Order: sequence, then C-alpha cells, then structure tokens
Amino acid sequence: MSRTTKYADAVAAVKAMENSLMNRSDIEQLINASGKTEFDAVMSSKRGNPKEFSTESVWEFIHGYAPESRELEILLYRNDFHNLKAALKAMVSGRNAEKYFIRPTNINLERLPEALAEKDYSVLPEHMHRTAKEAYELIVRTSDGQLADSFIDAETLRTMQKNADESGCEFMKEYARILTVCADIKTAYRCSRMKKQRIFLETAICGSPELDKESLICAVLDGTESLMKFLEESGFAEAVELLDKSAVKFEKWCDDLLMELAGTARMKSFGAEPLAAYYIASETEQQNLRIISVCRESGADRETIMERMRKLYV
Amino acid sequence: MNSLGLTLAIAGAVCAALFAGIGSARAVGLVGEAAAGVVSVDPSKFSKALILQLLPGTQGLYGLLIAILLLSRVGVLGGNPADLTAMQGWMFFAASLPIAIVGYFSAIAQGRAAVAGIGITAKKPEHNGKAIIMAAMVETYAILALLISILIIYNINI
Repeated sequence: MSRTTKYADAVAAVKAMENSLMNRSDIEQLINASGKTEFDAVMSSKRGNPKEFSTESVWEFIHGYAPESRELEILLYRNDFHNLKAALKAMVSGRNAEKYFIRPTNINLERLPEALAEKDYSVLPEHMHRTAKEAYELIVRTSDGQLADSFIDAETLRTMQKNADESGCEFMKEYARILTVCADIKTAYRCSRMKKQRIFLETAICGSPELDKESLICAVLDGTESLMKFLEESGFAEAVELLDKSAVKFEKWCDDLLMELAGTARMKSFGAEPLAAYYIASETEQQNLRIISVCRESGADRETIMERMRKLYV
Repeated sequence: MNSLGLTLAIAGAVCAALFAGIGSARAVGLVGEAAAGVVSVDPSKFSKALILQLLPGTQGLYGLLIAILLLSRVGVLGGNPADLTAMQGWMFFAASLPIAIVGYFSAIAQGRAAVAGIGITAKKPEHNGKAIIMAAMVETYAILALLISILIIYNINI
C-alpha cells in the first residue's frame, strides 16, 4: 500500500469538483432535449459558467495544487506535440498557427512560432528538443506533412512512455501504455489498408511491450488479414472485432480503456493519480458534449448518440 | 535519592506526551490539508470537515493525560518527587510506551482514514456520519493503549 500523503488537499478538492461532472442522467437529458433552448437550459442548470469546466480550467485547477508534479505534465504531451506539428506546418506553409493550437499545454505558445523559425528549441520542454529538430529537418527535406505528422505522433508516444517510466507512477505508465497500444493499432490498420511502405511504418509506429514494433510492421506488410491475426494473437481480439465493424467503435473502445484506468484512481485519497483521473474525466466529458452537439446537429437518432457516448467517470 | 529512577519516570512522561503529540499533530495537519481542499471548492462543508479533522487529535490528549498522571504519581507535580529505584523508574518508563507508540501510529492511521472520509464528505455530504464512524474505529486502539498505560502507572508500588 502506498504510504504517500501527497496532494491530500488537491485530491479532496477534486472529489468536491467531481459532483459537477455530468452523470448518466444529465447526459440522457441532453440527448433527449427537444430543442436548442431545452439543451441550453439543461447545460446551464448543470453548468453556471461553462468556461469553469473547460479542460484548460481543469488543468489550471489541478496544476495550481500540484505545480511541481512532472507526472501530471505527461497528460498534456499530446497537446504539446500537436502544437509542435501545427507550428511546423504553419511555418512551412506561411500561415498563422494560432488557430491550430490546442490548450492546455506545457509550451509557451506565444513564442513558439517565432522560436521555431529561428530554430531556437529552448522555448520547448527539454524532452521535445530532439523531436522538434528532427521533425523540422524532415519536413524541410521531404515537404511531406503526413510523414512529419506520423514521426511526431510516434515520438509523442515514445516520450510519454519514457517519462512515465521515469516518473515511477504506475497510473501514468498505464496511461502511456494504453495510448501507445491504441495509436499503434490504429496506425497499423490504416497503413495496411493504404498499403504503406516499410519506411513510413518505421517512422509512424511507436511499439510497446505488448505490440513489438518490428513484428507489427511485418504483420502490416503481409496485409490486413495477417495484421488482424497478429493482433488477435497478441491479446487484442476485441480491438480486431471493433475495427472490423467501424472505426468509431474502435475509437470509443480506446477512450473507454482510458476511463477504466481513471476509475481505478477514484478511491485514492492521496497522490497524483486522482488528479490525473479527474483531468481525463473532464476531457472525456468535453468529448461527450461535442459528440452530442454534432450528432444533434446532423439529426442522428438517440440510439446512435448513446452508442457513441464514452464511459462516464461518475 | 535515586536520580536514575526518577529520570526514567520523567523520560516516560516525556515520551507519552511527545510521540502521541507528534502523531496527532501530523494527522490533524494532514486532514486539515484535505479539509482545506474541500472547503476551497465548497465552503459550506467546513463544519463537517472540521469534525473529521478533530478526530486524530485525541491521541495527543491521551499522551498528555498519561504524562500528567505519571508525573503526579511520582510526585513531581506536587513538588515532592518520590525516591524511585532504577527498576521502578523503568516500570514507569514502560508504562508510557503503550500510549507513546500506539498513540503515534494510530493518530497517523486515523488521519489517513479521516482524509478518506473527507472524500466522502466532499462527494456525498449526507454520508458524513459514516465517514466519522470509520475514522473513529481507529480510536479503539488508542483507548486500549491509554487504558494499559493508566493501569500500569497505578499498579506500580512506590
């Protein structure tokens, strides 16, 4: 049993905040709302000021309690590396990157475009320097945005795994593992469909203890059927079944895995895990709200929306 | 006067007050941190959180009680210290150990249970009573230790 007593105040505050997360009944009310007015009324009854519940606000809230926590910063790596991609592509195409940036992030976004143009990587966290330099060279040399994207995506996962391992936090290790496995399966499946070459696969696939990089690449090169067989044998039969049905279902499966992980931290009273879990829960909630809005606008029926709803934290 | 016997008895009183007090201080501080976290989000939960914060403070009081009883028994408080042999001194010292040791560890354990209880109060304030009961269960062992310390102190022949 862990004897840590770190972040007792933050965890208690987060538990109080959990009451304002949407539960199943709230979600059903939103889905069943007859029009925009009713939808807005349900939203405002649960949320006085929606900005308070944005992932950016949630991050500020937990980071305010645990500013020195390196393991929590891993939660933002996906945003950080996305912002690097956005800045690089905007730089090459001569566009303004600002509208492509995602917040919250560990990067000073105001300085990022200018710093990249000057090849000054000091504006980035240290673990991103090498990736930024290599991605810059790759995009300048090949002008292949997709290749640079894939390279950065794989580096995101590698960095996440490495820093999670170094943090010693089991929760973050599992978080990085789930994201890596899901991303690798998705990339491998798409590449097998698009019949991508080995050189691309070597850049795009990260690899993990569950899915060995070289074996996965070989399976992709042998065709989709071979890939599915390899995934089944590696213990991902459920993922294979869902991939066969639809990409949407697979995406939901991946998100639900993260939410199951978040659920394991709900009962803890100390440590960074409940804080990370709350952040993941708030991200998922935002995702559910986006799905409901988009589905309602496109006229999707209730069953379709319910089918796409991610697992809830509360 | 056998100064070693009296010194040991006083050392016992010091241990009882010191370790049980340290345990309580740490635990009350810990629960206070958690309580502050909840109150920062929902100030209306202050009184419920305060009850949980007070629970691990009792071990410090038990330590103080044993220290006073022991000092009183050996006559230090009355200004007329007893002439204790080394053996008697060791007995008084041993008498202080149950509350010193159990007090310290039970306070920390109770603090952790109370912090978990703060989580219940934060999420389901209507179940605050259950959180108090669960944290209070730890108190049993501090009370048992207190009882043993008292029994020993009053059964040493001087």
